[in-house]
Amino acid sequence: MKFPTSHFTKLAIITCLFVIPACNEPSPDVLRFGLASAPSNLDPRFATDATSARINRLLYERLVDFTQASQPVPSLAMWEMLTPTHYRFRLKNQNSQFHDGSPLTSRDVKTTYDFILDPQHSSPHRSSLKMIDHIEVPSEDIIDFHLARPDPLFPGYLIIGILPARLVAKGHPFHSHPVGSGPFAFRGRPDESRLQLVRRSDSQPFEFIRVPDPTVRALKLLAGEIDMMQNDLPPELVAYLAKNPQVHIQRGRGTNFAYLGFNLQDPLTGQLVVRQAVAHAIDREAIIRLVLGGSAHLAESLLPPDHWAGDSSLQGYDYNPEKARSLLAKAGYSQEHPVHLTYKTSSDPFRIRLATIFQHQLTQVGFRVDLRSYDWGTFYGDIKAGRFQMYSLSWVGIQTPDIFSYVFHSRSVPPNGANRGRFKSPSADRLIEQAEAAEALVDKRAYYQQLQAYLLEALPYVPLWYEDHVFIARREIEGFTLALDGNYDGLQMVHRSITPLRH
Amino acid sequence: MRMWAPLGLVLLWASMALLGFVVPLAPEHIDLSKILVPGGAEEWLGYDDLGRPILDRLIMGARTSFFVAFAVVGLSLCVGTMIGTFGAFMGGWVDHALVRIIDVFLAFPGILLAIALAGVMGPGIDNVVIALSAVGWVGYARLSRAQVLTVKERDHIHAAIAIGTKPLRIMVRHLIPLVSAPLIVEASFGIAGAVIAEAGLSFLGLGVQPPAASWGSMIREGTRYMLVAPHLVITPGVAIMAVVLAINLFGDWLRDWLDVKDQTRLG
Amino acid sequence: MLQFLVSRLITATVVVLGVMCLVFALIHLVPGDPVEVMLGESAQPADKEALREALGLNQPVHLQLLDYLARLVRLDLGTSIYSRRPILDILLERIPATIELGIAALWVATFLALPLGILAAMHRNTLLDFGAMGFALVGVSIPNFWMGPMLILVGALWLGWFPVSGREGFMSLVLPALTLGTAMAAILSRMIRSALLEVITEEFIRTARAKGLTEWRVIAHHGLRNALLPVITLLGLQLGALLGGAIITETVFSWPGIGLLVVEAIQRRDYPVVQATVLFISLSYVLVNLLTDLLYAWIDPRVRIQKGP
Repeated sequence: MKFPTSHFTKLAIITCLFVIPACNEPSPDVLRFGLASAPSNLDPRFATDATSARINRLLYERLVDFTQASQPVPSLAMWEMLTPTHYRFRLKNQNSQFHDGSPLTSRDVKTTYDFILDPQHSSPHRSSLKMIDHIEVPSEDIIDFHLARPDPLFPGYLIIGILPARLVAKGHPFHSHPVGSGPFAFRGRPDESRLQLVRRSDSQPFEFIRVPDPTVRALKLLAGEIDMMQNDLPPELVAYLAKNPQVHIQRGRGTNFAYLGFNLQDPLTGQLVVRQAVAHAIDREAIIRLVLGGSAHLAESLLPPDHWAGDSSLQGYDYNPEKARSLLAKAGYSQEHPVHLTYKTSSDPFRIRLATIFQHQLTQVGFRVDLRSYDWGTFYGDIKAGRFQMYSLSWVGIQTPDIFSYVFHSRSVPPNGANRGRFKSPSADRLIEQAEAAEALVDKRAYYQQLQAYLLEALPYVPLWYEDHVFIARREIEGFTLALDGNYDGLQMVHRSITPLRH
Repeated sequence: MRMWAPLGLVLLWASMALLGFVVPLAPEHIDLSKILVPGGAEEWLGYDDLGRPILDRLIMGARTSFFVAFAVVGLSLCVGTMIGTFGAFMGGWVDHALVRIIDVFLAFPGILLAIALAGVMGPGIDNVVIALSAVGWVGYARLSRAQVLTVKERDHIHAAIAIGTKPLRIMVRHLIPLVSAPLIVEASFGIAGAVIAEAGLSFLGLGVQPPAASWGSMIREGTRYMLVAPHLVITPGVAIMAVVLAINLFGDWLRDWLDVKDQTRLG
Repeated sequence: MLQFLVSRLITATVVVLGVMCLVFALIHLVPGDPVEVMLGESAQPADKEALREALGLNQPVHLQLLDYLARLVRLDLGTSIYSRRPILDILLERIPATIELGIAALWVATFLALPLGILAAMHRNTLLDFGAMGFALVGVSIPNFWMGPMLILVGALWLGWFPVSGREGFMSLVLPALTLGTAMAAILSRMIRSALLEVITEEFIRTARAKGLTEWRVIAHHGLRNALLPVITLLGLQLGALLGGAIITETVFSWPGIGLLVVEAIQRRDYPVVQATVLFISLSYVLVNLLTDLLYAWIDPRVRIQKGP
């Protein structure tokens, strides 16, 4: 025999290193909400992504909110305009309390806004609030905003969640341990993919679970591992889920505006004919019907027709490949001498799918299109830097028409705004300024409607569609209402009608 | 006898890769009305999430994997063999340093270094070839070094050195031919590895970019529709498995035929 | 033993240094300015400068390397650009999941490979042998990025027995462990078979046979015991395949381990995290191989003497 038996003991020791891992079971009373991407920042002073903004609306309260037609309405505070550069806000409810029990006072509001306005903190929201000259708090419940220049839409900008001044002073890590006064309080974040909140009104625990893969999210819903989710699901899966008796689906119109953007300084996409040819080459209706499963509505402008400054009479570009071809021919391009475009998109699978369709439809009329897909950060960086010919993105949660100045005024070229296509038009600038200067809302509206008609003509964007919202939940989940901008405020009323027997 | 079935499959793969140049294919033709239509009499394998014919895309995927695999193995084989032979032939500190460098590369398990390289250099099929070759040469260098060490003391090599033949000539004319059999066997398994690695990188989104097709990216796209259209993910997977299995069987046969002793291969 | 230990330790140290240098070089392979790629062109100049400073990119390359090594010695892996958290914390958070998956996959591999390898060796060149080895060959030919989705399709979508993905309890471990374990089992069963075949021909086995022991007792008592040693070593080497395969398996199943972390960090251009994770995986691989070597030497004293280049 070669080895004494003791060697077997040594081998046994090695084998013992194999241990069965422990496991943890989900508890049944929690309401679970599936998310495609996790909120990256729970500090409203810095958060910019849509998921963070939606979650932060639950955690924090803000001074002002919006109606369905995007009119600003009081949320935490009523306001009056004392002079065109002096707004007085009065806190409505003396009982508003932070999650740590301390009351919300005017000082907290001032501290929050002062922090954002301090250039040292480089908050991404500073640029939209730059007109604020200084803030005064004459009493516990009064905040006076003094502006450097008049802006009749000013109250609509005060949508940042209010933080407790005491913790701001201490440098509290709000991004990971949020403390606000909203209807939901932070409970914990066991890992990056799970966020636990509790609803303050009835102590109902909630868990937001990141499940990036749409198929997995759908299956988790069927398996009862999550109770509800909203959007970010390909229409094929929505149709599949709709057939299941355990699931109910709510659809609602949305305001998120999808568009094709161009670089106006590029020798090719700078030409109006080329952009018009693109607009006529894209079959938006077929895409909405066959790819989006009918869950979108044609858009002709950034603002939907039912926005107070929107315009329902706009006439868009119809799908007309013949016309697109002849436009290109007139501009001197042909099959042998095609327009060669580079189209950038994010690496999100659905975006790539859409981009591939656009690429194909553009190829049909004589374009040559190269697709470049990048991870979100790089893509977004390139777009902001103007390093693109053509791209597609959406504007999410647009409420105030100052978006036009932010997106299309010639002084809003990044980093001063979001005029990423370098659109420089004196006519557009003039209309924007006239609209901003107008005192009465009817005049503003008239100017903005003129502007939208002009933009459709000048075509710095090809408007695509407004994406619908779809809320998908297990049958026993009740009480959710969809918001136009897709926020999660409906969770305040959500409840489970019967306790399911098994999880 | 036993080589015919695998060889046939490998030849089928090669002809699919070349077929695209002759037969008109429409792997990028989008027909929105045919989205996710399963296979039938008209189009055997059905259509994908954009209404593109899956058979055509499968053929384009065959081309991608074929050319990437041969480029990677060709590059790795040449570079690795030259370096390994050179090290063993020179001996001394050159050889010693080479062994250490090989050790360092082998310290990165499996596909990890290729993923990191491709990830850092950015997506694209050319970067995939570079990343896989940067990892692949090591195996051939190690093998050729070990082989050369066993043959370099043979009489005719000593004779060649004695009559003043240039080292490069000795290496290319005398050493490499002597050690080529195990290298060829290793390379045939290397093709299988490269097919899987290319598909793996494309699966992670680091390989071909849309609308180009790779079997890996087809699986990646297909997994999103598994619930409603499983044919999207089954088809390219069967293709990869068949090709890799065939190459492995062929490699086994080649090894026996060339009478190469079984080397311990690592996954 | 001591001499062997020292020589192996020295080799391992050289390899570790080499690995660190290679990982350091990764960030210099980023096309263009890595800082701009990571932060985007529109980032504030001050932020860019701060990151350049933090990564030491404004120094000559050799100083950067020394600086990088010095920080590694202090266990300072830097900060994630995406989440702005210390990378060490992120790693520590992710490691248990990967260890859990790795151990479960090893179990699967062992339980599949042992009987297959033994049966194949006992019934050499019979239908059973061909069947077992055929399975092994198919096993190595199925990539885990296809095996995973197929298991999901059958086990989770059609049968509904297991969760599709994520790390929630024992059931969610089954499919990823099967995915990772089957590929290993395929390789392992071939190794067990050939290791067994090698010892079976040796003198003491023939003696045992001559004593009239049943074939099963011969294999179990004498063959397996001696064949296990080379298998253990190969198991150590297989850890490489395991770790490499874990990257893709974790991605398929959204298993929150370090493999998924690499892929996420690449997608987010969070290169410090990519570097740190790659470094961590490689170093643990080197360490396990070193331990396997030493263990082998401990169990079988002949190795210490035989040890060649």
